[in-house]
Amino acid sequence: MSEQPVKIGLLSFAHGHAHSYATCLKKVPGVEIVGIYDDNVARGEEAAQQHNVAFFAAADALLDQTPDGIIICAENANHRLLVEKVAGRTRYILCEKPIATTLADAQAIIDACAATHTKLQIAFPVRFAPPVQWLKETLDAGSLGRILAVQTTNHGSMPGGWFVNQTLAGGGAVIDHTVHVIDLLRWFWRTEVSEVYAEIGESLLHPNLGIDDAGLLSFKLANGVYGTLDTSWSRPASYTTWGDVKIEVTAEQGVVFVDAFKQNLTVSSDGIGKTRWQNWGSSMDQGLINDFIDMIRTERTPSITGEDGLRALEVALAAYQSAKSGQVVQLPLEKA
Amino acid sequence: MKQVGIVGTGNIAQIHLEGWQRLPVQVVAHYDVRAEAAQQASAKYGGKACSSLDELLDQVDIVDICTPSHVHRENVLAAAAVGKAIVCEKPLARHLRDCTAIVEAVERAGVRMFVAQVVRFFPQFAQAKAVLDSGAIGKPGVIRTSRAGAMPRWGSFFGNFDLSGGVILDVGIHDIDYQRWCFGEVERVFARGLTFTNGLQGDHALISLRFVNGAIGHIEAGWASPPAQWRTRLEICGDAGMVEWDAEEDTSVTQIMLDAERTGKVRTVASPLAPDDNPYFAELAHFLACLESGEPFRVTPHDGLMAVKVALAAIESVRTGQPITIASFEEPSA
Repeated sequence: MSEQPVKIGLLSFAHGHAHSYATCLKKVPGVEIVGIYDDNVARGEEAAQQHNVAFFAAADALLDQTPDGIIICAENANHRLLVEKVAGRTRYILCEKPIATTLADAQAIIDACAATHTKLQIAFPVRFAPPVQWLKETLDAGSLGRILAVQTTNHGSMPGGWFVNQTLAGGGAVIDHTVHVIDLLRWFWRTEVSEVYAEIGESLLHPNLGIDDAGLLSFKLANGVYGTLDTSWSRPASYTTWGDVKIEVTAEQGVVFVDAFKQNLTVSSDGIGKTRWQNWGSSMDQGLINDFIDMIRTERTPSITGEDGLRALEVALAAYQSAKSGQVVQLPLEKA
Repeated sequence: MKQVGIVGTGNIAQIHLEGWQRLPVQVVAHYDVRAEAAQQASAKYGGKACSSLDELLDQVDIVDICTPSHVHRENVLAAAAVGKAIVCEKPLARHLRDCTAIVEAVERAGVRMFVAQVVRFFPQFAQAKAVLDSGAIGKPGVIRTSRAGAMPRWGSFFGNFDLSGGVILDVGIHDIDYQRWCFGEVERVFARGLTFTNGLQGDHALISLRFVNGAIGHIEAGWASPPAQWRTRLEICGDAGMVEWDAEEDTSVTQIMLDAERTGKVRTVASPLAPDDNPYFAELAHFLACLESGEPFRVTPHDGLMAVKVALAAIESVRTGQPITIASFEEPSA
């Protein structure tokens, strides 16, 4: 790989993935983190200290460092504001998922980037988990024959903070966890979700949470495959790990079970007071960051586009509509 | 000692016979519409091969109905009419109207009937419910169970929708009954599957349940896996913890043998249990104990009916693509 210098700025550490991305950036030769901006000064300064980079109290000051690329890890509802601010002053943006909390914001993000010739990538790191890539290759090889059904889960622990704030997050477990797996299915089969039915539970697993913490989507894809996706924050604090991404494909020539984060050591510690799994699998975040840097260095189109982000968001919004109406919801949604 | 008669001679009849042989009862009669099948059962297990159902009913205290579900109704009604205690294999019947007729008949006759929803007697499933009932995982929120393999090859009726109802009524009913046992009545069901599009040999369904108590259930019922594959799983998540079990991962014996080509591909996985804990024995032992003590059965006729009702509603959801409310569901006339 060429070691052409690349300067990256990090906008907001609201989403904890920013820490992982910063760590991954430092492992890519020739990449420099030119600074961190965060509207939460305390959070930004702490992150800057932790990663040993400069903190800027104004986004413009960070943009004055002429970063080649910007990574946005703000609260979901704040993605649009930041994208509109930086598009044109950097040529490459990596935006945390979900792209936004509304289709209008998602479209505005895409339009702002298009108008300024800024290349926008959405952070769907699970595409870079090697067990998931193994499944993609297996599906592409065609040996499974006709695909019949896909049973998926993206379980998690309840994250708290702004993730349970309707305004900032746009919803709870359903918006948080629908988009990862739906993106994978769209990518696997180059297809779209055509209809969704959803059962959603509010404060079902966490009393008085005040937002959805359980979700079960039943969907049909345009290629004829049907499936379900469990998005629930159903992993208790006492569980062995944070959650899972599981994809199980039933096909004419066989079945495949993929448990993307099951490459674990089982660690029992009296100090921690429980048994937990420690993942030794390859870092998907590193794969995502390597891909982003490669896009900048080769000036190519993003591997995961704003449109990908919008389509995944649309399915989550359709699930909320379905749970509210009790009906099956057809996609694409009508533009409000 | 109670005298037992078995109606039907197929796979489940043989499993039940092995159970009855270990209990303090006498198997005295077999009946099958195929006379030679009844004679074979008689030769293998003892007891008389009867040439009619009436002949069997004349000789027994307990009638164990192990026929395909589409003929449960006529057999149960005949046994109830002459006051016999009844074991009826799941599903209680192929159609809701048959279930209703069965439940009314046993109530009218005042006879006791146990519906053999055997999953309630699988130790891991029974203990998962005990964990739930202990309060250790709090209030149940999201439940997932899965039961997926290949369609049974031992009975031609499985592949006939009019007789078996496909994978949802034959396989999914286990999980519907189990989840209903654990979480109470079902408010509504939504399902997608292959019952009407893939031929029953490759039938498969993914079922969403909403319980009256607000909990959400998910069931996979599959006949679309390769023949060597049979996987069952359960996961109950509550607001204070969770319990999970997976046949693929939680097992105690694995044997890998060299075959003629020395590939080591011959694989045996087992989860051995004491004979008394074999669920097919345990359900019959439970039936007999309750029959003698007068205690209620773990599965009531109403439970048998409700499991069929929810399963038929799931099939209707697959057919129509719409969610189905259980309370107002009526089976469309065939």
